[in-house]
Amino acid sequence: MRRTRLLALVSMLLLVVATACGGETTAGGGGSGGGGNDSGQAGKEGNDLLAVIKEKGVLTASTDAAYPPQSSRNSQGELEGFDIDVTNEIAKRLGVEVEYETPPFDAIVSGSWSSRWDLSVGSVTITPERQAVLMFTTPYYYTPASIAVHESNSDIQDIENDLDGATIGSCTACSYEDYLKGSLELTTGPVESVIDDSEIKIYDTDSTAIQDLALGDGVRTDAVISALPTLEQAIRDDVAIKIAGDPLFYEPLGVAIDKSAPEDPKAFFEEVDRIIKEMHSDGTLTEFSKKWYEGTDLTKKA
Amino acid sequence: MATGATHGERQRPSFSLKERLEARSLATPFKAKLAAVYVLITIVLLLLFAYFEFDTAFMAEWLPYIAGGVPLTLIICVGGIILATALAVFGALGRLSKNPLAQGVANFYVSFIRGTPLLVQIFFVYFALPQLAFKEQTPTFLQPFLVYDITFAAILALGVNYGAYMSEIFRAGIQSVGYGQIEAAHALGMSAGQTTRRVVLPQAVRNIIPPTGNEFIAMLKDSSLVGLAGATELFYRAQSTGKAESRAYETLAVAALIYWGLTSIFSFFQKRLENKMGRGYVRELASHGH
Repeated sequence: MRRTRLLALVSMLLLVVATACGGETTAGGGGSGGGGNDSGQAGKEGNDLLAVIKEKGVLTASTDAAYPPQSSRNSQGELEGFDIDVTNEIAKRLGVEVEYETPPFDAIVSGSWSSRWDLSVGSVTITPERQAVLMFTTPYYYTPASIAVHESNSDIQDIENDLDGATIGSCTACSYEDYLKGSLELTTGPVESVIDDSEIKIYDTDSTAIQDLALGDGVRTDAVISALPTLEQAIRDDVAIKIAGDPLFYEPLGVAIDKSAPEDPKAFFEEVDRIIKEMHSDGTLTEFSKKWYEGTDLTKKA
Repeated sequence: MATGATHGERQRPSFSLKERLEARSLATPFKAKLAAVYVLITIVLLLLFAYFEFDTAFMAEWLPYIAGGVPLTLIICVGGIILATALAVFGALGRLSKNPLAQGVANFYVSFIRGTPLLVQIFFVYFALPQLAFKEQTPTFLQPFLVYDITFAAILALGVNYGAYMSEIFRAGIQSVGYGQIEAAHALGMSAGQTTRRVVLPQAVRNIIPPTGNEFIAMLKDSSLVGLAGATELFYRAQSTGKAESRAYETLAVAALIYWGLTSIFSFFQKRLENKMGRGYVRELASHGH
């Protein structure tokens, strides 16, 4: 009596433990973070992602909601920004509703989304490295990358020389981090950094780096590298920083779709790409850009 | 008598200031003093608040959005504590079992989960397991068991984590039932199962429920970690708003106050529950009247 009861208990316990923490034992070998190079075969299941989305009537998009003016929440909790307008328009033209997930940015660019979201209109720079795991549509806008320093700083005049060896803040897994390391490659080829031997300080997202810089000149960081519109938005919000020098480089930003999506993403990708081209030619993207970037049209290649 | 009076009058002014303060202090009820301290703390905080110019209009504007994370925080914690309780029952029975398989698995579970950080576990469930799901060698039927949305991942990670800690609480609760009780039950002819159900568990539960309440309150605070994985719960809302609006102190202060409010409410009920559960153990309650 006792024995059978125990046996039943144990087997249940085993089952629970096996399902609940079975993965943990392989933690050392399996979870190598960003590694998305594995099993890039799309369409393992034979289902079509576009058909699945249309059937559900819901497009799930991921966004970093702490990245104004591209994506942030208003006090009603609604997302707003350039990226959000573009996402909503894509959903509208697909004829579906849109839902948002808010994973960390590095989880977006590392691919292997496991169908938790369908696409990211998250101002993702198109790089060959990311193209290994993500599919990118035609760029929907182009953003200049710039350096900001604390507003009281007067030493940094020439960013090509005065920033060598400085501590510079960047968001994690961002193209800016690669730029400072000298390893940034855009689709047009490698981008050489004009800043040498900088000490890179990594932040979860751009706005955290910007706020650290605003604490004072050299208090936590000497400079921040980010998208010019993001830096300008911070300045409009009275954050104590200023832009230093001209933009370092221009990067094309595309809508990203997971290459290793369990459902075949090909038709979905083509449809979103078509919509982006359509939004370029009918002026929708220009309209959104002017709305969010103080009248500037960032949708044309610089 | 007259001299006595003058004597008394002479002596009264000779009380030192310290003595008079001590006398006054003795005459003041302790509760009044405590209340005065609270009032003082409040005044100091409000002064600091005003001095640093906390933007109350900004806080009021964002309060509904940030507080809107409370339901998700509670859903995650209630789900988490239910899962943790279930796992803790198995964990505790396994730890106490004489069966090597049961004990080994339970020991491994408790040791491994208690020996790894909760944040690592949350990230593992949300980011690592889904990547395993779509590997070539993963059988298709397992996929739905490896890919979770963030709410479920949070419940799973918190439940598994707290289940390990609570296994020890449950084990202690079960062990605290005197062996004499079990012997007595056997002497009455009860089977092992009957003993467990009718004698051990009812007494163990009394030792287990109050600390489980404490675990729930601890989980309310630890649940903020899942905000880092993107769950739009209380802490996520506060910190992402703080980042986007460059107002970390206002938004985090709002979140801290809400957490404090929540834990205070649950602590109140926890205390009442504890008193109720412990009633049978309290003797001479009436005579002392605390």
